[in-house]
Amino acid sequence: MRRLKISTGFRRSLTLRVLSTTFVLTTIVLWVVGSALFNRISTGVVNEKIKSSLSESTLAVYSAQFRFSSGGTTDDSLKKIAQEVVNAKKSIKATDSGREVILIRSAKNLDPVVDIDTVSNRVSYSSIPIELRDRLLNSSEPLWAQSTIQYINGAKVPGIVVGDKISIPRVGPYDIYFLFSFESQTHTLELVKRYLFFSGFMLLFLIIGITWLVIRQVISPVRAAAKIAEQFTAGELDKRMSVSGIDEISKLGNAFNAMAVSLEQQIKRLENLSRVQQRFVSDVSHELRTPLTTIRMASDLIFAYREKFEPSISRSAELLQSQIDRFELLLADLLEVSRFDATEAAMEITSVNINDLVSRCISDLTLISLQKKVVVNFENSSTISIVDVDSRRIERILRNLLTNAIDHADEKPVDVAVKSNDSAVSVSVRDYGIGIDPNLVNRVFDRFWRADPARARVKGGTGLGLSIALEDAHLHNGTLKAWGKLGEGAQFVLTLPKKVGGKIDLEPIEIPFSKL
Amino acid sequence: MTSVMVVDDDQDLAEMLGIVLNGAGIEVDLVSRGDEVMDVFRNNPPDLVLLDVMLPGLDGIEVCRQIRAFSQKVPIVMLTAKGDTHDVVLGLEAGADDYMVKPFKPSELVARIRTRLRRTSGELASNLTLSDIAIDVLEHTITRGGKEIPLTRLEFDLLVALAKEPGRVFTREALLSEVWGYRHSTDTRLVNVHIQRLRAKVEHDPEYPTIITTIRGIGYKAGVSGTRGH
Repeated sequence: MRRLKISTGFRRSLTLRVLSTTFVLTTIVLWVVGSALFNRISTGVVNEKIKSSLSESTLAVYSAQFRFSSGGTTDDSLKKIAQEVVNAKKSIKATDSGREVILIRSAKNLDPVVDIDTVSNRVSYSSIPIELRDRLLNSSEPLWAQSTIQYINGAKVPGIVVGDKISIPRVGPYDIYFLFSFESQTHTLELVKRYLFFSGFMLLFLIIGITWLVIRQVISPVRAAAKIAEQFTAGELDKRMSVSGIDEISKLGNAFNAMAVSLEQQIKRLENLSRVQQRFVSDVSHELRTPLTTIRMASDLIFAYREKFEPSISRSAELLQSQIDRFELLLADLLEVSRFDATEAAMEITSVNINDLVSRCISDLTLISLQKKVVVNFENSSTISIVDVDSRRIERILRNLLTNAIDHADEKPVDVAVKSNDSAVSVSVRDYGIGIDPNLVNRVFDRFWRADPARARVKGGTGLGLSIALEDAHLHNGTLKAWGKLGEGAQFVLTLPKKVGGKIDLEPIEIPFSKL
Repeated sequence: MTSVMVVDDDQDLAEMLGIVLNGAGIEVDLVSRGDEVMDVFRNNPPDLVLLDVMLPGLDGIEVCRQIRAFSQKVPIVMLTAKGDTHDVVLGLEAGADDYMVKPFKPSELVARIRTRLRRTSGELASNLTLSDIAIDVLEHTITRGGKEIPLTRLEFDLLVALAKEPGRVFTREALLSEVWGYRHSTDTRLVNVHIQRLRAKVEHDPEYPTIITTIRGIGYKAGVSGTRGH
């Protein structure tokens, strides 16, 4: 869950993405550069130390050799010189760094007259790598190796060991080892490392900060543009971006504003056009009504006396009458559609029991269902489902659905059901007649659409009924869904929220294979 | 003989209305301009007015108001080319009792006129009381504390319909059938607007009605809600 949150935040925010990329890349670069730099420095420092250690030890060896050669006549004096050589720090260029000395009998010297092995400062013999001693046996040059200086008391210090040979009169070949501590170098390197880390972090934060500033400069106009675009989409067509300067961002702003102006003009033009058109349809329908009323009344009068005319005129009177009925229906539906198009449809809300509404619609259609030999099954349940609706519109929907079902039922029964939950009420009308092609099922709501053009005329109707029903349902924030299968019948489900402007949380009745 | 004033600017329709109504035994006065209605009305008061909404001179809604200011009793039926709620409600609020949307069937029109002219509740006891209101059915008057409250005929019929069975809950459809004579109509606007008008006249506080109360989801009844009569 949390991971999901972070990843969506990551995908949503360009700032976050750029900053984290910058962070990762900068860290890697700084790490590589810092490591290389530190390696260089530490190698340099160590090499310098080795160089100085070598020259120091060379000098010391010379000095020791000289002292042994000139003064070592007795055992005691040899021992004394050995002590002096080992401990004589000051005498031979003892620099800042400490050094220890080990004087030890060479492996070649098998039979010494006197043992003058000496160490300084209780340093341990194990400080000398065995490998170095072995190499020194066959070497004429002084040799060195990195090692750890160990003391008898257990202290350990990193350092370098330089070994050389020395020849002592009477006693024979001896090895002399100088142990130089790296302590001060380690200390220096530690400091360098700390500074490197510190400056690395500082650089990292600086770069992140700069990146953030740059992003803000680029992103905030983009964000502003997005906000303006959203408002524009929401219908505030007069929204424009504020443009200053002549940079790329202001170019974006100018382009955006030009687009907005053009869109606004187009939309206004289309709106105007459609308003004029709707107005026209509505005016025509209204203007037709008064003459139609006169025609209607004249026709009724003629129709009432049809039996007094000769057959052809009598039949003409009947046709006139029935076509005026049809014309009237069409006009009424057309006017209703134009009202929806102009979004002028007003609601007259009352609280009604939907069960009663359904029962009444069914009983109103008893005559038609008897003619068509269709049984309409509906159990008026005892639970009262009160809904706030425009009952005229809902009755119109129900009558439409029922008439449709009865017309297409093929003498099979029609099942009507009402179900409700906390938020909504559904009415389902199901027939088992000729059915609808599932691929065309949602086209039944299209205006003037006919499932079967050949049979349409016989069925009558204006071809606007279901599209008006759908608009009526939408006006209530409700839904009207259709299901159908050829040969198996069709089902229509009307779902309405119980309260005006309420939401449908769950549809009490769902159609079998919802395609919407 | 019953006389009806037909106010319509469409000459042909007016003439046709005349033919149809004459055929039904109703005498017709034709008026074609809105601003001429009151003169004719004063000189020769009709039994009922058929009033078109769109009129030259003065529109139907305004004419309706003027007639009501002059006479509460005469029934007014609006003729409208628009079925829109707005126009219909305006007409009803201006004092019309009923309306017919063009195009209508002549038989329907005649039936509607006859319903409006019918003397209601002739068989009833001549006196009813509802709360502190006394209803004199024969005299067609209602009084509160001896003071008459002027009602239109339709408002009177509506009140009587409710008052003669106090406690019974009438659905809007039942009232439409009882008072307006509609068998299959659900145009509840008619009922709602007239109940509002009636309440404005008879209730002490129309915001909190006690004489005609609403039963949510069902309809109206006479008397205080709480005891639901079946």
